[in-house]
Amino acid sequence: MLDRIESAQKGFDAEISEVKDTASLEEIRIKYLGRKGLFTELFEEFKQLSKEDKPKYGKILNQTKSSVQQKFDEVKDQLEKLTSDSTDYIDLSLPGRKVELGSTHILTQTLNEIKQIFQALGFSIFEGPELESDHNNFEMLNFPADHPARDMQDTFFVNDNFLLRTHTSPVQVRLMETRKPPIRALMPGKVYRNEALSAKSYCLFHQVEGLYVDEDVTFAELKGTLVAFAKQFFGDDVKYRFRPSFFPFTEPSAEVDIWWEQKGKPGKWLEIMGCGMVDPNVFENVGIDNDKYVGYAFGMGVERIAMLKYGVSDIRIFFDNDKRFLKQF
Amino acid sequence: MKLSLNWLKNYVDLDGISTDDIVEKLTTSGLEVDEVIDQKKIYENFIIGYVQTKEKHPNADKLSLCSVQVGEEEYPIVCGAPNVDAGQKIVLAKVGATIPNSDFTIAKTKIRGEVSLGMICSERELGISDNHDGIMVLEDEVQTGSSFSEAFGLDDVIIDIDITPNRADAFSHVGVARDLASAFGRKLILPKFDMVETDQSVNDFAQVTIENDTDCPRYIAKVVRNVTIKESPDWLKEKLTAIGLRPINNVVDVTNFILYELGQPLHAFDLDYLAGQKIIVRSAGKDESFTTLDSKERKLIETDLLICDAEKPVAIAGIMGGENSEVTNKTKNILIESAYFRPSAVRKTSKKLGLQTDSSIRFERGCDPEITIFAANRAAYLIAELSGGEIAKGTIDAYPNVLKKKEVSLRYDRIKKVLGFDISKEKVNEILESLELEIVEKTEDKIKCSIPLFRHDIEREIDLIEEVMRIYGYDNTPSISKIGVSVNSKEDQTEFGVSIRKTLTGLGFYEIITNSLLNEETANSFGNPVKVLNPQSFEMSHIRPSLMPGLLSTISRNIKVKENNLRVYEIGHIINKINDEINDFSDFDESDHLLLAVSGLADFSDWYSNEREYDFYDLKGIAEAFLEESMIGGRLKTKFNNSSDNLHEYSISIFSGKQKIGEGGKVISSILKEFDIPQDVFTFDFNLDELKKLKKEKEVFKDLLKYPQIKKDCAFVIDNNINFNTVEKIIYENGSKLLKNVELFDIFESESLGEGKKSLAFELTYFDESRTLTEEEVEVEFWKAIESVKDKVNAELRGK
Repeated sequence: MLDRIESAQKGFDAEISEVKDTASLEEIRIKYLGRKGLFTELFEEFKQLSKEDKPKYGKILNQTKSSVQQKFDEVKDQLEKLTSDSTDYIDLSLPGRKVELGSTHILTQTLNEIKQIFQALGFSIFEGPELESDHNNFEMLNFPADHPARDMQDTFFVNDNFLLRTHTSPVQVRLMETRKPPIRALMPGKVYRNEALSAKSYCLFHQVEGLYVDEDVTFAELKGTLVAFAKQFFGDDVKYRFRPSFFPFTEPSAEVDIWWEQKGKPGKWLEIMGCGMVDPNVFENVGIDNDKYVGYAFGMGVERIAMLKYGVSDIRIFFDNDKRFLKQF
Repeated sequence: MKLSLNWLKNYVDLDGISTDDIVEKLTTSGLEVDEVIDQKKIYENFIIGYVQTKEKHPNADKLSLCSVQVGEEEYPIVCGAPNVDAGQKIVLAKVGATIPNSDFTIAKTKIRGEVSLGMICSERELGISDNHDGIMVLEDEVQTGSSFSEAFGLDDVIIDIDITPNRADAFSHVGVARDLASAFGRKLILPKFDMVETDQSVNDFAQVTIENDTDCPRYIAKVVRNVTIKESPDWLKEKLTAIGLRPINNVVDVTNFILYELGQPLHAFDLDYLAGQKIIVRSAGKDESFTTLDSKERKLIETDLLICDAEKPVAIAGIMGGENSEVTNKTKNILIESAYFRPSAVRKTSKKLGLQTDSSIRFERGCDPEITIFAANRAAYLIAELSGGEIAKGTIDAYPNVLKKKEVSLRYDRIKKVLGFDISKEKVNEILESLELEIVEKTEDKIKCSIPLFRHDIEREIDLIEEVMRIYGYDNTPSISKIGVSVNSKEDQTEFGVSIRKTLTGLGFYEIITNSLLNEETANSFGNPVKVLNPQSFEMSHIRPSLMPGLLSTISRNIKVKENNLRVYEIGHIINKINDEINDFSDFDESDHLLLAVSGLADFSDWYSNEREYDFYDLKGIAEAFLEESMIGGRLKTKFNNSSDNLHEYSISIFSGKQKIGEGGKVISSILKEFDIPQDVFTFDFNLDELKKLKKEKEVFKDLLKYPQIKKDCAFVIDNNINFNTVEKIIYENGSKLLKNVELFDIFESESLGEGKKSLAFELTYFDESRTLTEEEVEVEFWKAIESVKDKVNAELRGK
């Protein structure tokens, strides 16, 4: 009897450890714990035993069966858990449902960055028309007719008196004519130049112009303001220089260069903007008292700055609007 | 303008100053340096060698195998030139040499099996002429082993500078030397010469009459007789070639030399071709024409100034001479013109003729009326020296309209007012005097300067401040370290644009920026465009009257690179003519627009979805979301256009009162074909100037609803041609203020409903902000709405 109990236990242990699925588990249940299973047989046999033998084997048989039952339940639980996992399984590696985000044009992004810096420095923002009068675009800004300074900006004319503005400076004129100082303004917008299309020039570009008119404006303040901009835009360690230049509407006039280094190439000075103190002739034209007020103005090209910052070497790509380009920013 | 550093050094002592410092100083004092060419560096690996032996290349008929000796060393060189031979002195480009004007660098090579350690150069390869017939064979005296640049005096540094329009005075070597002298605290040295004149007076050979002394205030003539026209000597040719000019003959070369030395344009006439040996300066007559040196006939008008002899024009003043009196190889007697012409007169004529010359560009910016005599004498001296001619005694100086020097005052305290810092009075005076601005009056507070006539740009106090600062150095001026910001509120006219861009980015749109110049045909089919008078090309002759062409081109271009699925928009100005003639801002309309488009697939074929193309309702939904997110308030009305117009197959327009603020629909196929777009495109255009006016102020917070809402559903069967919004309107009109929302939640057509019928299902939402509604009162409202729909559009209620 004892041998038979032991061998039933051993057989069960061996088989249960091999179990892979519910079907083979069911076979084991039938074989050992079923109504006609091994343990049922053993209990039948036990009933036949003599009175003195019964206590001896009963305890062992009961213990063995309950340990087998326990083991069986454990395995069954495990197996059920496993199978239920695979029916509710989530493949977390599937690609997510696509969400396509849009973007603003890189020129808009660059302009916004410039605007934010100057807004923090207390500049208001104004706009003006692109189809301008010669009067606002040139004459009021001290470009007399038949003056070589007009050659500095190749112009698209509509007729003798109207043109596509060559700079955002006519917005200065409009502001100074209609407002009283102090004027602290930033003026972004499209401007046009009659130049052949090439990697370096396009027939239009975006300019940002600044103007500050007040009683105590100085060149030192202009310098400080533009240095602040350069540091905020290009980083604190930006190397810059101011050098004399000429614009009819400012005197003295300057250009600002920054030192630019690219990997594997020698560094060089690159012009990023023009600036100067508002020319007294301009103040006279718009009716601002030259003795009382001083002003400064500056201007820069958004494309030029974006080309520098993002390493774009052909300006035309900004206006191609290839989605593969737009997506990059 | 190209400058030769060697040439510059004739007029200012630059000893002990490095080329880098000179270049830096030029730029920081306002003469921006564009390019520096150091000839020594260019010819670094070019040396003089001696061809010791020459044999035929064993493997190539046309090549020779040479052994070139340079000092102690010998170089095996494979050479292809037909004229190479033993015993020649030649220029050898060693390994590492870069051929001028090219990217080609000599490397050690094997040519058909034979090692070659360099190249024997032709004149063209050396960049000194166009001759490429064979190698350049040198005179025997040239020392082997010496560098090419040393042996040929090619040790110059060529500096290319940009001259701003105000700095006419710097348009010559002397002019630039004056700035450098001032900046480095050195002295300007003007050229010295001893002119020998004959006894016979210039007046015996020529006469000058100025009829228009406004445009020609001064005209100087000098006569040189019995000249021999020939090639210029090497020193002169080298000076001219160094700055990129082509030597012509000894007379023309001298006039060019003076132009670049002193900035004074000269003209040399063949005196024997001047009828009556007269010079008359006058305005052109009506319909006069004249053939310039370049063999082109020029039509003139009355404002053009001519130089004439007794019979005919011989030059267009300050711009170009004529064929009829030019110096030729046979010329014997010469009249040198050294004049001062009014800048704007020269500019007008030069612009009108489209003819800009070295001479006109200087006159139009303003020359120096006082250097004319010096320049004429110097030219006469040099021409006589180089041509063996004799200089007639004296000078004809017709100066009917004497130009006076201006006097300009400078208040010392104004410098601080403008610049924000003080420069000592001594320093100010020193700088101004170093620029030849003579101080004629001096007090404690201010000075008065007499401005030399070569400084046309100095007229006012601010111009003197600029001069002081320019030489003082912009980088030596302090800048403030704190910026004061005014306490006033700030305006931002771009704010609306910024916020709608944010909305559109959120809606998945890419912003594009397109060219606003279009060709005529395209522009005309999208509006009433303004024409550009002087376009770059026919492709860009009109200003865009609509954003549509730019956007469609963008879609077309993207489809070509397989980017077919697009949500794009552009924000920009469009310009339409109101009147044909543009004399005023009221003759055209410039407004800010937004155009957005969807095209291609709205949903992709993916593991979770089926492919679906964009349709009108995508567009409409986006437009509605856009309007809501942009906080457009007021009562907007929508008009439905089921029939096609010249832009859309069908479309809707949105109005605020009578003002149209937006319009969108499906683009008609003929336009798509025009732009080569093979798929549907849906566009919506908004007038941003109008939208901006409708923008609501930020709304105040509304309390969240405390009482329950009641929702009721109903469905109607109606005729297919009745619009959804007709039914919606009836429901609203027959509801009280308790009816808060009407939502269409289903629409379908089927045979079971009957031919030409459709079913619309609505959900109606009722609530009151201040109380709980009873089921009964809502029931009454609900049925009233249903009855009126049944009544007004002959609808049947389904399922109830």
